[in-house]
Amino acid sequence: MQWLDGLVQGVLLGGLYAQYALGMALMFGVMRIVNVTHGDLMILLGLVGISLAARFGLGPWSVLVILVALGAAIGLLLQRVILNRVVGSDPLPSLIATFGLSIALQNAMLEIWSADTRSLDGGAIAQASFQVGPMFVGVLPVIVLITATVLTGGLDTAVRYTRFGRALRAAAADVDAAAMTGINPKNVYAAATAIAVAILGFAAVFQSIRATVSPADGPFQLIYAFEAVIIGGMGSIWGAFLGAMVLGVSQSVGFRINPGFGVLAGHLVFLIVLAVRPQGILGKE
Amino acid sequence: MNAPLLSAHGLVARYGDFQALYGVDFEIAPGEVVALIGANGAGKSTLLKSIMGLLRVAPEMVRLDGRPVGGAKPYTMVASGVAIVPEGRRLFTGMTVEDNLRVAIDHARTRGGWTLEKVFLLFPVLKEKQFVRVQLLSGGQQQMVAIGRALLNQPRLLLCDEISLGLAPKVVREIYQSIASIAQSGTAIVLVEQDVGLAQSASGRLYCMLEGRITLTGRSSAIQRAAIGEAYFGAPRAVA
Repeated sequence: MQWLDGLVQGVLLGGLYAQYALGMALMFGVMRIVNVTHGDLMILLGLVGISLAARFGLGPWSVLVILVALGAAIGLLLQRVILNRVVGSDPLPSLIATFGLSIALQNAMLEIWSADTRSLDGGAIAQASFQVGPMFVGVLPVIVLITATVLTGGLDTAVRYTRFGRALRAAAADVDAAAMTGINPKNVYAAATAIAVAILGFAAVFQSIRATVSPADGPFQLIYAFEAVIIGGMGSIWGAFLGAMVLGVSQSVGFRINPGFGVLAGHLVFLIVLAVRPQGILGKE
Repeated sequence: MNAPLLSAHGLVARYGDFQALYGVDFEIAPGEVVALIGANGAGKSTLLKSIMGLLRVAPEMVRLDGRPVGGAKPYTMVASGVAIVPEGRRLFTGMTVEDNLRVAIDHARTRGGWTLEKVFLLFPVLKEKQFVRVQLLSGGQQQMVAIGRALLNQPRLLLCDEISLGLAPKVVREIYQSIASIAQSGTAIVLVEQDVGLAQSASGRLYCMLEGRITLTGRSSAIQRAAIGEAYFGAPRAVA
């Protein structure tokens, strides 16, 4: 019973991790751009959302709409101002540029919001739960999981079947050849980064309601997102979703073995996947 | 002769400190097939790259419909009707034949003209391989995808960079038959080719390049082999 509960809670936690991981799947998995600020941007969006809610008395759903729009704008800016200068087949320049930005962001957030942990008041829905057999399942985690599933399906369809998705995959495969085929790679990358950070708007709201955020939390979300993408397989959107589930379940089950073992269990499973199936669950070759 | 579709005027291009083109004058009329021959390193590919906007050149050095377009981005050139079959094919690895072609359709200058069906008619084998990822195709099939992709950009001018390179003679014949039918549809074509005989038979006019300069130009059928040899390798005394 304890293990079934661990599995269910793990899948629900995976829903949240999937929201961290989707943008990473697009940027790192498909575009091969390493964005170290991924987690920090989520925290930034979360803190902005919490401040807006407190200042203007906004409910969580209004905050969600604002953060998704704000995320898209931040993504556009990030790509235009920084990442477009380091686009290429080599992931190292983007890693170094965003590593610096990540440190600057963390310190700026610390300056503005202090090191306190904060959370967003989700109203009644944050505590609501329903009973399935002998288990209690939270309403909010189920909403998070459904949202993650819909986002994954939508993003996967966009990458596979739309003009934008084909242009993005083409530019990722050979940026010069893409330009010679009529694609403006900078526009395509800007749109993709906008989408990636907009999805973090969802993650920020749900993370802030479910748990807490503080300025130094970003690197943890970053690691979970990286792990989910790699476990699932580079370039696969549903793979990142599956990777997030694997991570969530590992942590949740690990936590039931020993409360101190949860997060470590996730990392261990990640290392095992790297050793046994380095291309990831849905990875090709 | 008609007003040129595209022309180069005193075109100078460099890779860093290395100068690759020394004042090249070149032109092609609408619907014309022009071959560009020369040894390795003569500057043929560099000329195509400069036209396509892959190298930085001054605006007046390249003109399309008489308007200066030198140094315009490759995607702008595509939008104004110039497409390229790049050296080494440069297909989108990991994507299917159809997706490679669709990328070109998505970003074509206009609708109509070339369609997926027409490309499959030109290269029937691609229809069989429609859903196969391009890295699994043979070299000749990949070249067909590269040509089809450029055609689906609906070019008025098609630049072909060494499309016979590394292919079996039979496949080369097939590819050049397709070039002839593309030319019949009225598209102007620049053929960069190392095989002089092939270039002469497939083109109406040719340019020969040597060390970044045009050394010979004229009607393909009228040029003597000896003159080409001299233009290709340099003055006889330099060779001897």
